[in-house]
Amino acid sequence: MKKNNILRKILNYKEFGLVIALIVLLIAALFINKSFFTFGNISRTLTNNSVFAILTVGIMFVLITGGIDISIGSILAVSGVSVTELMIMNNSIPPIVLILAGIAIGAACGLINGFLVGKMKIVPMIVTLGTMYVFRGLAFVITQGAWRFPHMFTEAFASYAKTEILGFDAIVFWAVGLFIVAGLFLGYTRPGRRLYAIGTSSESSKVAGIREDNVKILAYVLCGACAGLAGALYAANYLTVSSDIGKGYEMTAIAICILGGVSITGGRGRMDGVVIAVILMSVITSLLSMIPGYSVWQDALQGAIIIVAVIVNIANGSLADKRALRERGNRI
Amino acid sequence: MNDCILELNDVVKTFGGVTALSGVQFRLKRGEVHALMGENGAGKSTFIKVITGVHQPDSGTILLEGKRITLKNTVESQKLGIAAIYQHVTSFPDLSVAENIFMGQEILTKAGTYNWRAMRREARKYIEPLSPEIDVTKPMSTLSVAQQQLVEIAKALSRNARILIMDEPTASLTRHECEELYSIVDRLKADGVSIIFITHKFEDMYRVAGRVTVFRDSQYIGSWDVNEISNAKLIEAMVGRELNQLYPEKTSEIKQEVLRVEGLYKEGYFKDISFDVRAGEVLALTGLVGAGRTEVCQTIFGIMKPDKGRILLDGKEIKINSPADALRYGIGLLPEDRQLQGLVYELPIYQNVSAPVINNFVKRGLISVKDEMAKAIELCRKIKLKAKDIAAPPSSLSGGNQQKVVFAKLLNCDLKVLILDEPTKGIDVGAKNSIYEIINELTASGYAVIMVSSEMPEVLGMADRIVVMRSGRVAGCFNIEDATQEKILAASLVKSDEKGGSAV
Amino acid sequence: MSTPEIQTRDLAVKEKFRLSRFLVRWEMILVYILAAINLLLVILRPNLYFESGTIQSIIRSGMDISVMVLGMIFVLMLGDIDVSVGAIMIVSCMVMGLLLDAGAPAAVAIIAGIAAGGLCGVFNGVLVARFRMPAVIVTIATSMLFRGVAEIVMGENTLKNFPDWFSTLAWGDLGGLIPYSMLFFLAVAVIFAVVLHKTKFGRELYIIGNSSTVAQYSGIRVVRIKIIVFAVMGVSAALSGILFAGRLKGISSGMGTGYELKAIAIAVLGGVSTNGGKGKAYGPVIAVFIMAFMTKTLDLLNVHANIQIIFQGIILLIAVMIPMFNKEFFDGLKLRFVFMGDKNIEAISRRSAKEQQELKAGIAEVYADRSLTEGERKAKVNEYNADIAASKKKCRDDIKRAKDELKARRKNVV
Repeated sequence: MKKNNILRKILNYKEFGLVIALIVLLIAALFINKSFFTFGNISRTLTNNSVFAILTVGIMFVLITGGIDISIGSILAVSGVSVTELMIMNNSIPPIVLILAGIAIGAACGLINGFLVGKMKIVPMIVTLGTMYVFRGLAFVITQGAWRFPHMFTEAFASYAKTEILGFDAIVFWAVGLFIVAGLFLGYTRPGRRLYAIGTSSESSKVAGIREDNVKILAYVLCGACAGLAGALYAANYLTVSSDIGKGYEMTAIAICILGGVSITGGRGRMDGVVIAVILMSVITSLLSMIPGYSVWQDALQGAIIIVAVIVNIANGSLADKRALRERGNRI
Repeated sequence: MNDCILELNDVVKTFGGVTALSGVQFRLKRGEVHALMGENGAGKSTFIKVITGVHQPDSGTILLEGKRITLKNTVESQKLGIAAIYQHVTSFPDLSVAENIFMGQEILTKAGTYNWRAMRREARKYIEPLSPEIDVTKPMSTLSVAQQQLVEIAKALSRNARILIMDEPTASLTRHECEELYSIVDRLKADGVSIIFITHKFEDMYRVAGRVTVFRDSQYIGSWDVNEISNAKLIEAMVGRELNQLYPEKTSEIKQEVLRVEGLYKEGYFKDISFDVRAGEVLALTGLVGAGRTEVCQTIFGIMKPDKGRILLDGKEIKINSPADALRYGIGLLPEDRQLQGLVYELPIYQNVSAPVINNFVKRGLISVKDEMAKAIELCRKIKLKAKDIAAPPSSLSGGNQQKVVFAKLLNCDLKVLILDEPTKGIDVGAKNSIYEIINELTASGYAVIMVSSEMPEVLGMADRIVVMRSGRVAGCFNIEDATQEKILAASLVKSDEKGGSAV
Repeated sequence: MSTPEIQTRDLAVKEKFRLSRFLVRWEMILVYILAAINLLLVILRPNLYFESGTIQSIIRSGMDISVMVLGMIFVLMLGDIDVSVGAIMIVSCMVMGLLLDAGAPAAVAIIAGIAAGGLCGVFNGVLVARFRMPAVIVTIATSMLFRGVAEIVMGENTLKNFPDWFSTLAWGDLGGLIPYSMLFFLAVAVIFAVVLHKTKFGRELYIIGNSSTVAQYSGIRVVRIKIIVFAVMGVSAALSGILFAGRLKGISSGMGTGYELKAIAIAVLGGVSTNGGKGKAYGPVIAVFIMAFMTKTLDLLNVHANIQIIFQGIILLIAVMIPMFNKEFFDGLKLRFVFMGDKNIEAISRRSAKEQQELKAGIAEVYADRSLTEGERKAKVNEYNADIAASKKKCRDDIKRAKDELKARRKNVV
C-alpha cells in the first residue's frame, strides 16, 4: 500500500519525463565515453554552464508572469564590461564588490524594462527588443570598442570564479546558491507567489487587489539582477570581455526554461524542472564535445529537443482533456 | 430602527450610451437571504459590480449599515465585508486551493515567508464543512465547477464577509450539488451572513430566500416576501409584458424538410440527437444552459466534429468538416457570443458583413470595395441598421445593432438553414422586437431557422416546433399548438442527480 | 424621434478624404522622419549628400533585410512572430551555394533555395497552426534547429560560388542611378501591398489577426492561411538571402544573426502591431528606408555601428509609445488630477458635456430650419445659449459640491 503510494508519486511527478530523458542520456554517456563520469569533467561541465544557469533563473521570473525578456544577453554584456572597466580603473576593489556592482547594474537595466512593461503597458517582446539594442550599444559605449584580455585582470578577480571549494569552482556555488534562493523565493514569499498569481490570471489578480504593474516591475528587476550577476561572473570566469559577450544567450535561456516546463503564457514553472533542464542541456553539450566532430550538432539538437518537449506537453494536455470529456460523458 | 445592512437608492449606471441601471433601489436586511431575479440583461450583473466596487455608479447612494460609502475598487468592498462569488469563477487556476483562498491575505511566518502549513490548516478548516473531499494542495484547475464555487465561498468566509453575493451559483450544478449548496446557504444565514442570491430558478428562491427583488430592463420592479408572491405574478414582474405583444404575426408557409440530424453523438457533450427542420419554419432548441444546445449547433456548423451520427441536407447526407464547408452547403450560424465569435470590432461594418463571402466581390483577383459596400448597405437597410455609416466600426453600435450586423453577415451568404444561437442575448426590448421581425421575414422568404433560446416567452412566441434538450439528450418535442410553459419546463427539468440549470 | 426615415438612414460613407487626417497618419509621420533625416544629412554633409553615388549606396545598404521585413508584416499581422528568419535565410543561401558548388545551373539553385526557405516556413507554420504551439517558442526552437543544420552541413566552410549577377543585383545601379536592389525590393513590396490591401487573402489576414475565432466562424480556413503566411515568410527570407549573398559575396553558417529582430523592429516601426490585425504595408516600406538612412547618417557622424543600435532601440520604443498618448490616456490624467480620482465627479462632467452638446445640436437645428424668421431664430438661439450657460454653471457647482463632499469624507476616514 505504502509502496504503491510512493510509486504513484514518482509517476505523477511533473518532471518525470525529463528525469527519464536525463537517465537515458547518462546511460548513453556510459557507452559513448567513460571519461564523462570523471570528476574533472563533471566539475568542468558545471563551471561551463553556470552562467547559463543563472540567466535561466532570471528569465524564469519573467516567464512566470507571462512576459518575456530578450534583453538579458545585452544586460549580461553591460554588466560584464562595466565590472571589468571598474576593475581596471581601480585595482583595489574586492571581487565581491565588483559582483554586487554587476548585480546592481543589471537590476537597473531590469528596472527600465519593468517600467516600460508594467507602467507604460507596452508588449514585453517589443520593450525588450528595443532595450536589447540600447543595452548592447551601451556596452559598446562603455568599452569604447576595446577588448579586455586575461592579463588585464587583477589577480583577485581573475582567481575569484576559479577558486576551488570541495573540488568545484566558486562560480558553481553561485549558480547553486541562486537556484536555492530563487526556489525559496518563488515558493515561500509573498512577492514570489504574486509572480505566479499575475501570470495565471491577471483578471483575478485585480480582484484580489494585487498591483500587477509593481509585480511586473519586480520580475524584470530580478531578471535584470540575475543577468547582471551572470555578466560579472562571465567576466571573472572567462577573463576575456568585449561588448559582444552574451549575444544570443537569451534564446538559449528561454529554451532551457521551456524545456523545464515553464509556461510561456505564464503562471506555471517550477524550480526543480528548470534545474533538471539545465543539467540535461549541460550533459548534452558536454557529451557532444566529447565525440569528435559532433559539437556542431549542439544547436540543431537543442532546437529539436524543445520542439519535441512542447509537442509532448501539448499531447499530454489533450489527453487530459479527452479524459475529462469521457468523465463528463459518463454523467450524461 | 435600521435593520438594513445594505441599502441602495436611485443608483444609475450607464456605459457609453447604454443604460445598465436606471434608478435602482435595493434593501438587504441583516441575516436574510435575498433572491435577485430578472431576465438576462436586466441589469443584475452590473448591479453586483456596483456593490462590489468594480463599477462606480454615475449617481445614487450606497449605504452600509446606514452610513454612506463610496467604493473605488474591489479591495475596499472586501475590507467592508462584501464578497461576491461570480458566475464565472475568478480564481487562479494554476495555484493550489489553499493559496486561492488566502491570496491577498496570506498567513506569513515570523520571518515573513509563506506559512504554507498554517494556510493549509486554515484552508481545511474553512473547506471541510463545505466539502470534505477537496484537497487543498491540488491546483484549482483540477476541481469541478461546483467545487471551485465552494472554494470561493470558503474564501469569502475566510475574509469574514458579512454580505455575500452569489451570482447564479446553481447554474451548472447537479441536483445533488444544489442540495448541498442550499444547506450551506442555510448554515451561513444562521451564522448571520446576509446573502444576495441571484438566480433564474424558482426552486432556488423557494428553498433559500426570504425575500425576492425583481429587475427588468435595467429598472427596479419590486420586492416581495417569497411566500407572498405567486409564480405567475413573479413571471409577470420579470417579463412585464403580454407575450404576443412582442412577437410579430407569422407570415411564413412551412414547406419541405431541409435539414435532418440523425443520432448525432459527441463524447462528453451530447448523445443521440435527432431532429429535422423545414423551410419556412422556426425550430426552437431549448432547455437549460449547459444542456448541450450550443454544442449541437457548433457541430452542425463544423466547429466541432461529431463522433457519430449523420447530417442530411435536402435528403442527401453531407460531411461538414469546417465552417467553410457548412457555409458552402448553405448552413449559417449566428454565434452565441457576438463579441468573441461574431464580429471584429476594429474593422468597418461592411468588412464584417462581407467576411464570409469575400469571393463574391473579387474581380480579376482584387476586391471591389465599391461592390462590397453597396451590397452591405443594401443588406443593412433591409434589417434597418442604425449606424453612422457603413464604414463605422461595430464597437460604436448598441448591442441590438451589433446583432443586426451579424444578421447582415449571414444574409450575405447564400443560405438555406440559419442557426441562431441566443439571438437576443443581452439586447434591450425594443431591439429584440426588430430581431424577431427579421427572423419572421427570413422564414417568410424560405429559410429554415433553428433558434437556440433559454427564454421561454421567446420560444413560445417565435417557434413553430420546439425541441427540448436535457443533459445532452433530446428530452421532448412539441408542436407550438401543444406546447405550454409547464410542459417545456417539465421536460427540461432534471430528474434527480442530473445536471441542473436555469428555468426562465 | 425614431421615425422610419431615421431608421433606414443612408449608410453610404459620407466622410470624404480629409487632408488633416491624412497628414497625421502614421505612414505620413514616417515620411516626415525620413525627410528629417535627409535634411539632417544635407545640413551636416552637404558635399557628400549631393555627390553622385551616396544616396544609392545608402539605399543599397538597407536592402538585404528589406524583403524579409515584408514577410514579417504578414506574420505580425496574424498576431504571431517569427524569430527564425535569420536562420532560414542562411539555410536557403546554403542550399543555393551548395548546388552551385556542385555545378547546378543558377536557375535550379535559386529555385531550390527559395523552396528550402518555403519549406522551413511551412515547418514553422504547421507547428504553430496545426499543433497550436506558441509562435515564439516554435521559432526560437526552429531558429536553433535551422542554424544548427547549417552548422552541421557547412562546418567552417564559406560558400562563395554565387553567380556574378547576385553581386550586380546587390551592388549595381540601373543606368548608374537606381539601385537594382531597390527596384527588386519595390517590385516585391508592390506585390505584398496589393495582396495585403486589395485581395481576399489580405482581408482574411486582417480578420484572423483581429480575431481568429471570428475568422473561423466566418468560414475562413485559418490553419491553411497561417501555414501559407509562414511559408511566404520563409520565401521572403530566401529572397533576402539572394541580396545578402550578393552583398557579402560569401556565406558561412554564423552569418545573419540578429536579422530576425531587426526585421521585427522595422515592421513595428512601420506601424504593424505585434498583437495582430493592425498596420499597413506602406509603413514598413518607408521604415526600411528610414533604417538605411539613419544608419548611414550616423555613420557619417562617426557614430560606431555598435552605438547606432542604441538609436534603433530608442526609435523602436518611441514608435510603440506614441499611440499610447490617446484619448484614454488624457482622460486618465484628467480623472486623476482634475476629478480627484473620483469617477462620480467624472460622470457629472461627462453628463453635462453631453447635455451641452445636445443643446448645441439644437442651435444647429435652429439655423437649419428655414421656416423661422430672423427674430424667432435669434430668440431660440439665445434661449439655447442661456441653457448652455446654465448647464455649465450647474456642472461647475455640482462638481464643486461633490469635491467638497469627497474631501469631507476623506478627512473622516483619516
